[in-house]
Amino acid sequence: MNTLCQGEMLIDTENDIVMARKSVREAAVTLGFGVTDVTRIVTAASELTRNIYVYAGSGIMRWHSINDSNVGLELVFEDKGPGIIDVKLAMEPGYSTGKGLGMGLPGTKRLMDEMDVLSEIGKGTTIRIRKWLRQ
Amino acid sequence: MTTQNYDKSRSILGSDESFRLLVDSVSDYAIIMLDTKGQVASWNAGAEKNLGYRQNEIIGRHFSCFYSSESVNEGLPEKTLKLAAENGRYEYEGWRKRQDGSRFWANTLLSPMLDSQGTLIGFAEITRDFSERKNADYARSLIEASLDPLVTIAPDGKITDVNAATESITGRSRIELIGTDFCDYFTDPEKARNGYQQVFRESMVRDYPLELRHANGRVTSVLYNASVYKDEDGAVVGVFAAARDITERKLSEERIKQQSREILELSTPVMQVWQGVVAVPLIGCLDSQRTQQFMERLLDRIVETNSPVALVDIMGVPTIDTQTAQHLIETITAVRLLGAQVVLTGVRPAIAQTLVHLGIDLSGITTRSSMAAGLLVALDLLKLQVVKKSENHRGD
Amino acid sequence: MPNGTVSVIKIRDILLVTVPSDPDDITVSELQEQVLYAMERHSAKGLILDISTVETVDSFFARTISETVKMVALMGGLSVLSGMRACVAVTTTQLGLTFEQTLTALDVDRAMDMLSVAMDDKGDSA
Ligand SMILES: Nc1ncnc2c1ncn2[C@@H]1O[C@H](COP(=O)(O)OP(=O)(O)O)[C@@H](O)[C@H]1O
Ligand SMILES: [Mg+2]
Repeated sequence: MNTLCQGEMLIDTENDIVMARKSVREAAVTLGFGVTDVTRIVTAASELTRNIYVYAGSGIMRWHSINDSNVGLELVFEDKGPGIIDVKLAMEPGYSTGKGLGMGLPGTKRLMDEMDVLSEIGKGTTIRIRKWLRQ
Repeated sequence: MTTQNYDKSRSILGSDESFRLLVDSVSDYAIIMLDTKGQVASWNAGAEKNLGYRQNEIIGRHFSCFYSSESVNEGLPEKTLKLAAENGRYEYEGWRKRQDGSRFWANTLLSPMLDSQGTLIGFAEITRDFSERKNADYARSLIEASLDPLVTIAPDGKITDVNAATESITGRSRIELIGTDFCDYFTDPEKARNGYQQVFRESMVRDYPLELRHANGRVTSVLYNASVYKDEDGAVVGVFAAARDITERKLSEERIKQQSREILELSTPVMQVWQGVVAVPLIGCLDSQRTQQFMERLLDRIVETNSPVALVDIMGVPTIDTQTAQHLIETITAVRLLGAQVVLTGVRPAIAQTLVHLGIDLSGITTRSSMAAGLLVALDLLKLQVVKKSENHRGD
Repeated sequence: MPNGTVSVIKIRDILLVTVPSDPDDITVSELQEQVLYAMERHSAKGLILDISTVETVDSFFARTISETVKMVALMGGLSVLSGMRACVAVTTTQLGLTFEQTLTALDVDRAMDMLSVAMDDKGDSA
């Protein structure tokens, strides 16, 4: 119940997306999330690490368990890439500046319980997402 | 040890003037010389201050007048002399009586004085008023004995004292805690601040809920009871706060919640009504969480029973809102991704109206008014495949 | 490296493609190419994409699969997505991916049945 877990990894190559999914899956399973929530969290991590790889080239994914009154998992995705031009627009389903489906950011918001996007053009993007263990 | 006492006593008895002056100038300690029988031979300013008698009133009197009559009857004064003579020193704490009859808690060190041949010539008694220490020690022991985490807080919010229970619940030592901000040890510092400020304002608070954070991150739910404490002049000097660990209570609340969740699950059973057909009657209000849960169970059962058709009956659902309708559509979509199909039954007029007014498109979904009609559709869907397949085989 | 391996099996005029459980993006992209060329080489009429071991379907995977299904259709073939896990179906739906134009089946057996029926219908009408 009081499992503490945390870690971080560099997202630099395409294969790091797979590695990120593996690490996040392990963390979520350790914390006791059910199989559907594990899938939600891993899928969100897959979306956000791919965004780092595709749009920023490289960045960092960090994760740690939260042990407040609620137990949960927090993931932070940080890059020093070009930043998101219009965050509000990027959160709309179907918006993509690449050839994606534009479902990554809005989908992640639906899959997780909390999502914060901080982005500055030319400086980079930091996205923090959280999932609570049974609300 | 004995030699030391001997030297000391020699110099005092030798009326070394400077030493005499030193002894006299000490006012916090009663320094008294007793002869071998316990009669007062010398008296200093501290003795007068602590015990009341002036030098001329007490010299030559037996020191048992400093004891209560009970102690005297028990032979305590003689006993202490005997123990001091035997052990070379005797230290003890106990009540002492002043000239005016009042008493105080004293700490006494009694040392025998010997001459150069080693013969006992008297005793040196050093007595200190320990009342405050005793009160403090007593309060301290009560505080330490408390299993509840106790803490005192200054008006600026800094911790001034803690007990052992606070050390263990925060995972930090007294030394670490004292002088730091009380609010720093809670998951919600702002709420903690409001809490103690409320005490300063209203003199006390009851059952103020907070969450204490251990150094290792572990969180304990507590209820605080706190009140202000004052100095002798009645001025508020701080807050005394006692926490009660309610983790256990929360756990049992959690258990009850868990049970009601399980009952909820039981109330939405997913039944296999036919080979290849599962059915679920939804009853009661569908909130987000419940619909979500229902969706997961339905999908699991479809996979488990390898059923291509799922009957979802919403006859027992009194109202439906946009969000619930959205979840319902999500469920239908997810079922389709599995390779199965939902037949929605029991759509009552009110629900049909709401769905249309909400602009929810159910056009791609097979709906029937009753579960029975739905089952026919389901069987039809299955039969269709079977017939086609056997035709296919015949055709081969 | 079973994780990177896409297996393609031909059964009569149907291609059965088994997708590995946690494929990287390159494997997913290559799968599309591999499938299209195999369809052509074997003159296959049906395609079953067995994703029963796939643990995560994100928007990239979904896009590639949907595209593949459309491309196969342009080449005159019919595709069935088979065996999606329940937890994946919930997640994929919530993510907003619906695979609207794609046929689905609970398992490979049912996918085979579906394709046989559909291809038979086509044969009848032709
Ligand atoms: N880390 C990032 N750095 C810069 N831009 C980003 C980043 N993540 C997302 N974006 C922008 O937000 C848009 C929407 O992202 P997303 O919802 O994942 O859809 P997609 O990746 O399919 O385009 C992207 O097209 C891109 O312009
Ligand atoms: Mg994306």
